[in-house]
Amino acid sequence: MVPRHVYLYEDPSAVTLDLRRIADHVRTVTRLQVSVRGEYFRHHRPPDLDGLATQIAATRVTDLMRPHTRPPSLSPPLVHFERRLLEAPERRVPGVLYDGFLLQGIYRAALPPAERTKVAHVAITSRLPGTFDEADRRYHARAVILGYPALVSTSGIVEAPAKPRGFYVAKRGLRIDAADARYEALKEQYAGRFVDWDDPRLTLVAQGYALQAVFYPITGEPFCDDKDCVLFNAHWQEELLHAQIESGLLCARHRKVAEALRAGPDGRRTRPR
Amino acid sequence: MPLFQPASEAEVTRAILKGFTRDLERYAESEVVVVGGGPSGLMAARDLAKHGVEVVVIERNNYIGGGFWIGGYLMNTITVRAPAQKVLDEIGCPYEEFSKNLFVTPGPHACSKLIAATMDAGARIQNMTSFEDVVIREENRVGGVVINWTPVQALPHEITCVDPIALESELVIDATGHDALVIQSLEKRGLAKRIGEGGMWIEKSEDAVVEHTGLAYPGVIVAGMAVCSTYGLPRMGPTFGAMLLSGRRAAEEALKLLKKGVPAATKLPEARAKPVARKR
Repeated sequence: MVPRHVYLYEDPSAVTLDLRRIADHVRTVTRLQVSVRGEYFRHHRPPDLDGLATQIAATRVTDLMRPHTRPPSLSPPLVHFERRLLEAPERRVPGVLYDGFLLQGIYRAALPPAERTKVAHVAITSRLPGTFDEADRRYHARAVILGYPALVSTSGIVEAPAKPRGFYVAKRGLRIDAADARYEALKEQYAGRFVDWDDPRLTLVAQGYALQAVFYPITGEPFCDDKDCVLFNAHWQEELLHAQIESGLLCARHRKVAEALRAGPDGRRTRPR
Repeated sequence: MPLFQPASEAEVTRAILKGFTRDLERYAESEVVVVGGGPSGLMAARDLAKHGVEVVVIERNNYIGGGFWIGGYLMNTITVRAPAQKVLDEIGCPYEEFSKNLFVTPGPHACSKLIAATMDAGARIQNMTSFEDVVIREENRVGGVVINWTPVQALPHEITCVDPIALESELVIDATGHDALVIQSLEKRGLAKRIGEGGMWIEKSEDAVVEHTGLAYPGVIVAGMAVCSTYGLPRMGPTFGAMLLSGRRAAEEALKLLKKGVPAATKLPEARAKPVARKR
């Protein structure tokens, strides 16, 4: 399915994210109509904000070792917390993991009927989604949850792909709870080799994920196997930086897809809008 | 010639009694009751009192300050990370920069300054007073706390059958540390549930504590380490910045709920101000 329109949604907590630049990039690569919108739930605000807060709170993962199911009842603090976040999405809360697919379902339900077909929605969010992996029976944080709508997580870009191996070896020697200063020093030692909070490279990295989100409904393939392609699913930060910044390009196969998109449905080149 | 002027025993007794009852009468009905006199509770009470809010701190121990007197491993140097050193500036507590963005100060100095600043701002402190329960209002909203003398709780029930008393308030701040006693009392009624201090892998637990601080239940704000057990956040080591700034955030949230403005001078930086994207 080639979307007739792509909507990108702002993450107001990500100060180094330039969404218009990402929109320009997606437009240049695909020649699709791309528009920028404010934060997702500010744009698609349901009348019952408490109800939305309750639904989101129910997706919060509390046990990393078990697949999450919606709890039969929710403690009010969790709902109040989500309500505050909905009212002030400029706040960034590290360390809360949500079940990615349940969360995506809530985003999907908020879309108006007119925008449910042939439209790609890419919600850039600070919420950190995770998916349960049956192979090792635990949750893993994700930078992107592809589908409808796609969620690109600015927290996930930092937290999900693993940092260099040496970083974890050195980190193991620290009691992190008591040694934040030493932890910061360790991060400085590895500076540049992973995407950190408020990283100036966030826009470059996020634009690759935005392309993944747009290409998925077109090709039906979630990721590319080519490590040099921006659609590559990086498991390590170094792979991520290589694919998105050092390479920054589509592989030959996906370049052809992009060329076909730019040529338009009947092969005639369309003017980007 | 004696150094001190004469005062009879009876006069001293009357002075204690009158001073105490005058205070108790005042805070029998407050805008905010802070349960727990540790760093987050004191910080919240100070900021609220500075903005003219009637606030009383309930502390079960004789001493105020909770763990703020001592750093880690009974060593009384405490640490805060930037930007929490600005609070030390505000209360006039000197400190040194130990390493980049990490500051140290003697616990007794910081703690005594914070207690003094809290009282100077106009907050009242009721020590040796234990929180027993919440006052429940319409629709299960919390409208105050039930308290009793701490020694009553420490003695066998058979010889100390002393009924508690209640303080009414518009808001209660649970700053009772790991126990989260106010939330626990709601849990006993099936009205809330603590997730317990959790085992997420997060590295920025101090940020998470501050950002989770706020209204947790109608009438109840959680602050400090009580936030960790309420929301399942990891416990932290002996660094106090999050406690101070969580207290400040609790005060900000309380001021909003009481519909009183938060002056920019003391306001925590709003996470980030970023323009909302224009529609295209």
